[in-house]
Amino acid sequence: MSLRSGEEIRLGYRLLDEQIIDVDGKRCGRVDDLELRHDPPRVTAILVGVGLYPRRVPRRLRGLVRRLVGPETWGENALRIPWEEVDRIDAAVRLKGKAEELGLGNGDDPDRWMVRRLPWN
Amino acid sequence: MPLPRARLLTGAATALVAAALATGCGDLSRGELQRGVQSLSALAAQGRLLADGVARDRTKKTYARVMSRTLGAAAQHEAEKLADATPASDAQRERDRAVDLAGELSELYGRLQTFAGDEHVGREVGAGMRRVQAKADALDESLGARP
Amino acid sequence: MKTIGKIALGIIAAIGGFLDIGDLVFNTQAGATFRFDLLWAVVLGTIGIAVYAEMCGRVAAVSGRPVFDVIRMRLGFSTGLVALVASTFVNLLTVGAELGGLALILELLFDTTYSMFVILAFFLLIVIVAGLPFGGLERLFGYGGLLLFVFVATAIHQEPDWTAVGNGFIPSIKWDPTYLYFVVGVFSAALMPYEVHFYSSGAIEERWTKRNLKENRLNAMFGYGIGGILACALIVVSGQLFHPLGVDPTDLGTVALPAQDAFGETGLLLALGGMLFAIGGATIDSSFAGAYNVAQFLGWEWGRYRGPRKAPRFTIAWLLFLALGVVLAESGINPVDITEYSVVFSVVALPFTYLPLILIARDRTFMGEHANGRLASVLGWGYFAVIIVLAIAAIPLLLATNGGGG
Repeated sequence: MSLRSGEEIRLGYRLLDEQIIDVDGKRCGRVDDLELRHDPPRVTAILVGVGLYPRRVPRRLRGLVRRLVGPETWGENALRIPWEEVDRIDAAVRLKGKAEELGLGNGDDPDRWMVRRLPWN
Repeated sequence: MPLPRARLLTGAATALVAAALATGCGDLSRGELQRGVQSLSALAAQGRLLADGVARDRTKKTYARVMSRTLGAAAQHEAEKLADATPASDAQRERDRAVDLAGELSELYGRLQTFAGDEHVGREVGAGMRRVQAKADALDESLGARP
Repeated sequence: MKTIGKIALGIIAAIGGFLDIGDLVFNTQAGATFRFDLLWAVVLGTIGIAVYAEMCGRVAAVSGRPVFDVIRMRLGFSTGLVALVASTFVNLLTVGAELGGLALILELLFDTTYSMFVILAFFLLIVIVAGLPFGGLERLFGYGGLLLFVFVATAIHQEPDWTAVGNGFIPSIKWDPTYLYFVVGVFSAALMPYEVHFYSSGAIEERWTKRNLKENRLNAMFGYGIGGILACALIVVSGQLFHPLGVDPTDLGTVALPAQDAFGETGLLLALGGMLFAIGGATIDSSFAGAYNVAQFLGWEWGRYRGPRKAPRFTIAWLLFLALGVVLAESGINPVDITEYSVVFSVVALPFTYLPLILIARDRTFMGEHANGRLASVLGWGYFAVIIVLAIAAIPLLLATNGGGG
């Protein structure tokens, strides 16, 4: 089942917590939260990043999780992907552009882990 | 919580702990001793199988050696456990016999471990294991018979 | 379109890969303690894993979603996190137990210190995983595991009372805590979730589509089904040899003793060799499952097919699972004891990863025409009920029986 952005969807069921895949087929995070604006509310952006985890856990655990992931820092551990960047939604949220351009999937940047130094490379 | 009730609860807790300590670790009832003896019988049974394999040259030396080491250590551990425990008054003699058996078992395993490729030793140890198992089973019965 | 030959080979590999240290330990102990009375529990668990695996394989092939993608999507972040933590904990215990078991087998074969073999096994597995393609890994360990058919040969050679064996397949409940503990243990050892999680992600590694659905069903029915025969053989040989003698198998090496008793050194080597491959394969499966689950839940790139450069976090996670397994195996705790805990806790965690799967497997929005049919639905929900009962009973029984020891 494929949806074009703009169509009404059951947000909690088909959008939140879905895998995000960029135009090259690279997995680059999950939809950790949604930005809703206007009246009637529409999704204006998907939010991605570990900085958003404290919002998703029960109140009592929020402090602990906050200490683990650090404060919510936009551009670093919390990223805003405007809704226009979404191409379609099937088994995952498919983006129109590349992950690097949107700041996504930095955790899997090979240079970051100096993977070149591993024996099988 | 009103004071008198707190004191009652503390008193009950202390009594429970005291009772537990009195009957618990360190003391060996007839039932517990019986279980220990049964495990000695089981160890002897396994030793017999192992020794028969060595006696008939139907096993691998490293396997027999490593198994003898492991099972021998288990027998030794059981011996120490029984020796450290304080037996119930009507199980004193039986406890001492069990410790002897465990020691015998540990020695037999030690011999098998050293001579893990020697068929003659295998036959010797096999016979020894059978004897220990028979004695352990007899001890088990006598522990279970008397109330 | 795979030929029948390739599918058959895949099934054969699945048969050999069916057993792990949990099955080896629990089935041998079950046979020694209760003779043939727990055979029905093995069958129950075997059908259970076939049902669970078929569902997860179908979901992966049709929707492209592996297990922890389904879990995050269906349960949401916080409940899904509970499932992830529980699953990770169990997987860590399992990797430790399997790695320790691997070292124990190597020690029995070559008699150098156990500690060294743990480290050796760690590096050996990394080299093997780096060197072989995904399918090659499954085939190597799967075919090697077929050596365990020596236990089937042993069972036949022992000429047991086949009527008594047959009666063991008839379900019976004894209200004895030790018996019930073994029911849980034998069932749970057969239905280890890491195996299914690995299978589900493996389907995506092998780029399954709807065309692989038939293969999926055959894998489940015959791969796991015939694998169950090996598990039954363990109970029979142990029941026949150990039960009358009162042997209490607390060591992994004891599992091989019936094969040695029947066929001498050849039987012993076949048994130890088979155990080596089965446990080795399980170490890889459980460590991969651990890495898959974490990476999929958090949205990282994952998969052996991506390689370490494209999926570095996944690769590091996998290495971390193995490394922590080494720590556990070197901790001085007997791997057989670690195994007991991993098996018992895995059934406690099982409902969390089973329920979301069946909810998606029956949902036409995701599965289209391939949603659960009547048989899959009946079996699926039936097993969910069984799993819930066992999950609740598992830890009380573990405590009550002091780990089956009494």
